[in-house]
Parts: sequence; structure tokens; C-alpha cells
Amino acid sequence: MVGGAELKWLMWISLYVIPLVFLPWAISHAWAHQHRRQLALKPQQLFQRGELGLPSLILASSVIWNLLQSQFTPHTVALGSVILGMSGTMAVTVWVETYCRQASGSDSRPERAWRDSRSLALLVFSMAAVMEILLDRFARVVGR
Amino acid sequence: MSSPAPALAKGQRQIAVVRLADASQAVAVLSLVFGLLLVFFPVWFPARIVSSWQRGQLMPVMMAFTLVLDTYLYLRVAYLQSAKPRPLAAVCLGSLPLLVIGGLSLLLQSAVRSILSAGLPNLQGRIGEEIVAQTYLALVCAVFFPFLVIRLLQQFKAANSV
Repeated sequence: MVGGAELKWLMWISLYVIPLVFLPWAISHAWAHQHRRQLALKPQQLFQRGELGLPSLILASSVIWNLLQSQFTPHTVALGSVILGMSGTMAVTVWVETYCRQASGSDSRPERAWRDSRSLALLVFSMAAVMEILLDRFARVVGR
Repeated sequence: MSSPAPALAKGQRQIAVVRLADASQAVAVLSLVFGLLLVFFPVWFPARIVSSWQRGQLMPVMMAFTLVLDTYLYLRVAYLQSAKPRPLAAVCLGSLPLLVIGGLSLLLQSAVRSILSAGLPNLQGRIGEEIVAQTYLALVCAVFFPFLVIRLLQQFKAANSV
């Protein structure tokens, strides 16, 4: 059955999701309320330049660090690190590319940047969650 | 990296242009399903994976699954763009999932050998967890990697044609 230990990863992930995604959204709402401005503050407008790639890379780096500290074989550590690092880099590249397109005045489509960064961020977050579950399971096996 | 190259999209509208976001959604769903199975069936699901690997059934099943999933994703992208699939992409999708799973199968065998030679305590448990972890990583890699290669080839081709 599902216990507290199995859901520990959920709390761990929320430590990243809350300050990096929810907090900017909440602060922007507070700012608009304080200054009595009508702003478009949906997540797809707030993160329309692909900013979700930044927390994705931070999260990927954090999981890679945890993976390096684990007692998995070097094969698994290397494979997991490469895949996570690649996904995080791809996610942050959406933000960089959108910035470059806007700065150079070339074809810029915020809705596409939002969709791409959301998909890649979801990929990194789901991979991070599964890796944390696997790390948790492995730590318990080693500790027996 | 994840948005279509404008020159390619405008110049050759007949050919499907792949974005990494197309594959990443599918891999994210696959990851969530894998994670939920681990959380809700913490004994049964890993035991199934390990017993399949011991019987030699895991890798062929994974090869078939990733091949079907990659093909479905690519055809879906082509259908949504009302474009035709390109032969190079078909070759990538046909060969890369098999190569990735085959290569990572060798890596897993090497990892198991290194655990056995190290003589660590709780060998059975460690090997089981390694198999589950590498199975997950191989699934992700086999679905995502072919799309990454196709995307890079498209960028390379677009850069050369400019």
C-alpha cells in the first residue's frame, strides 16, 4: 500500500514547484491588485517567453546531484544524468531561443514558446519525480 | 531547439516538421504512468519487470512498444500538420529505438555484472532496483532520442539550405 515514504517525493517536488512557478504567479497577482491594474496573468501569459525552462534546468541539476550521491552503479548514474541534463538543457533552450528571436526582431510566437516550454517542463518534472521514487526505493534496499 | 526552423517550415510545407515538445508530452505521460505504477504497486510492478528481464522478454517487448509509440507520434505530427512523413525520419524511427534498447540492454548487463563482482550485501534487491531504474531510463531514451536526432537533422538541413 501507499505510505508516507512513497509520497515523500511529492513533497520534494512541490518544494520546487511552489517557489518557482506558483510564487511568481501569486506575486504578480498581488502586484496587479496593489497597483489597481488589469493585467493578463494566466500562466501562459506570465511564462510566455519559455521561462518554465529555468526551473526545469534547476530541478534537473538537483536530481542529477542526488543521483551522483546515490549508490546506483556508475552505468545507471551516467545514463540518468545524461538524460536529465539533456532534457533540462532542451527546456532552457526554449527560453533562450525565444529571447533571441524577440531581441533580433525575427519571427516570435509566444504561444508556441509557452507550449514547448510547458511540455518540456512537464517532461523534466515527471522524470525528476520518477528518479526520486527510484532513489528512495534504492536507498531503502541498501539500508536493509 | 524545440521550435520549427522557419526556412524549412515555409519552404517545404509538404514535409512534417518535428518539434521536441511533441515527443516530450508523450514521454512525460509515460513517466507519470511508470511513477504511479511504482507508487501504487511497489512490489508487484518491479517484480514483473525483473522476472520479464530474467526470462529475456523485457527487451523485445520494450523494442516493440517504443517502435509503435515513436511511429504513432510521428504519424500524428504529420497528420496534424497535414504533411507527409519524410523517408529519413522513417529510417530514424525504425532503427534508433531498436539500437537504443539494444545498447542499453548491454549496459544493464554490464551493471549487473559489476554488482555481482562487488559482493555487496542484499544483492538480489540491488540488482532488482538497477533493472527497474535502467528499464525506465531505456524507455525514456528510446522514445525521446529518435525525435532529438530527427530534430537535429532538420535543423542541420535547414542551416545548410539557407
